[in-house]
Amino acid sequence: MITAISWRNIWRNPTRSLVIIIAVALGLTAGIFSVALMNGMTEQKMRTAIENQTSHIQLHHPEFSVNKDIKLHLNNKAEIEKILEDNPAIKGFSSRTVAGGMLASSRGSVGVQLNGINPEKEKQVTAIWQNMIEGDYFEGDSRKPILISQKTAEKLEVKLRSKLVVTLQDSEGEIVGAAFRVSGIFKTTSTAFDETQVFIPKKALQDLLQLPAEVHEIALVLNDLEQVPIIKEELQKELGESVKIEDWKEVLPELAYLSDATVQTNVLFLAIILVALAFGILNTMLMSVFERVKEIGVLMAVGMNKLRIFSMIVIETVFLSVSGSLIGVLVGIALIKWTSQEGISLSMFAEGLASWGVSDVIYPTLSAGFYIILMFMVLITALLASIYPARKALSLNPAEALHGLNN
Amino acid sequence: MSIIQIKGLHKIYNPKKVPVHALNGIDLEITEGEFTAIVGPSGSGKSTLLNMIGGLDSPTEGTVIINGVDVSTLSPKKLIDFRLKNIGFVFQDYSLLPVLTARENVEFIMQLQGRKKEEFKKRAEELLREVGLGDRMDNRPSNLSGGQQQRVAVARALASKPKFILADEPTANLDSVSTSDLLEMMQVLNKEENMTFIFSTHDQRVIDKARRVVSIVDGKVAEDIQVEQEMAQ
Repeated sequence: MITAISWRNIWRNPTRSLVIIIAVALGLTAGIFSVALMNGMTEQKMRTAIENQTSHIQLHHPEFSVNKDIKLHLNNKAEIEKILEDNPAIKGFSSRTVAGGMLASSRGSVGVQLNGINPEKEKQVTAIWQNMIEGDYFEGDSRKPILISQKTAEKLEVKLRSKLVVTLQDSEGEIVGAAFRVSGIFKTTSTAFDETQVFIPKKALQDLLQLPAEVHEIALVLNDLEQVPIIKEELQKELGESVKIEDWKEVLPELAYLSDATVQTNVLFLAIILVALAFGILNTMLMSVFERVKEIGVLMAVGMNKLRIFSMIVIETVFLSVSGSLIGVLVGIALIKWTSQEGISLSMFAEGLASWGVSDVIYPTLSAGFYIILMFMVLITALLASIYPARKALSLNPAEALHGLNN
Repeated sequence: MSIIQIKGLHKIYNPKKVPVHALNGIDLEITEGEFTAIVGPSGSGKSTLLNMIGGLDSPTEGTVIINGVDVSTLSPKKLIDFRLKNIGFVFQDYSLLPVLTARENVEFIMQLQGRKKEEFKKRAEELLREVGLGDRMDNRPSNLSGGQQQRVAVARALASKPKFILADEPTANLDSVSTSDLLEMMQVLNKEENMTFIFSTHDQRVIDKARRVVSIVDGKVAEDIQVEQEMAQ
């Protein structure tokens, strides 16, 4: 009966209750959608980074990531590749030879990281081949092809089939150079990546570096991202200490930080919204209690104990909050579902977003787990917001309350 | 058999600031089956006395013994339970829960007592029929007249099977027909079920029906008349 009384009490003043329910609903819809938008951006950045840069797991010489010395290549490449091929959890891998160098045209030069790749193997781990905007992905008959980004092409003022000169230091410390012809121009959503990465056939780079058949990096992609920690551990056991195995979070720690920071920011953001809503709910419930002083006095007089009166106020608050939250969550879900299909175009901020590694079309996303956490937070907020009005109700003296007096 | 014994009852409000002596040594005994009116001018202390008898307020001095229990010594928690089991309340403005129907208002008290569903459903119907509201059970208070609401309040007071019913100016908001109907109904309950009624009232119509009239003036019992005895004499 107390639950029924609480529910009906909410609708004694429908305007007031609807105002707070709508306020809670709007607050949560806005909060949920903002969080989903933020998540969409972060996920997109992470996905882009994983697809184009880090893959799921990378293998290096233990000291390579510290000083990038080209002599620090993987010593037991054949054995490693055999192990990777035999592991069914691994979807694909690509062995790369990498080196820093200068890329020059007749109009300018830029410092880049040269990635010597096997085009077909690389397709299994990165999405560069899907980001070609001009030319092709090592499919032409050019003898020394090079893939550069649109940004680099603009900087060097070159176009498709222009000649570029690569200069770098070989394994003997000698400065060597070679001419390549632009066979394809790509564009990813990350300006930072585009400005620094170029791709050439692995054999060409190995020849330049005088490192026949040597590779510095093996990038691999798993069938399931969630399995990264398990496979990493498995591989570490099989390959021993001679190979440094890093997952995508270790390769780009800022990505892991971004992921964690996004979660924390989202929770903080929602907490601020909920605190603001809590004061609205508290105000509504206080008004409701003060309006019913006499009625509460009667309930006390006829034998309703303090626990039941406390429960009645708490349940009313929870009903009020949860009603608003459910509406807010449902509208939020609908809004996310609608926008996640078409995406939200932020083309006017395209430049800024690209420098952050995000495309100008954002696809809001939110996990089911988040809604559970959110409803839990709403419940806690409602309970906290109900304590003061409930205590006010309990502090009433029945004899005075019966005459409408509130001490 | 005495169900209420009041001895040397004093109540002082604001004892440290501006003391207001609401009750100045009341001695009173009420026996089972009485139909007693407590009368007196405004500020005489009759409401305070009713609050003390109802266990809604605690005395500054003296004792209120109900059914052998000194209610002034009970903890607030025990006092609520005591009221629920022993006292039925009827208020001037009916004080029904507006969100509940007549039936639910009566059932609610029995639910608080922890009675079984079948039991309280049956009793609520019986009581509402008894007070003449068999056809208005599912109406909310807002759809009932003042007289009908007060009848629901009486049914609610009876629902807990109390030792007595305390009625604070029960006819103050009723017209003469409703007052007459209500008093008749209470008299029937008093005579047929031996239910004890204690009223505070200004209403001469209620005073005329009372079998005992206790007059309070300045917090003291000024007069205590047993009407039937006098009439008998």
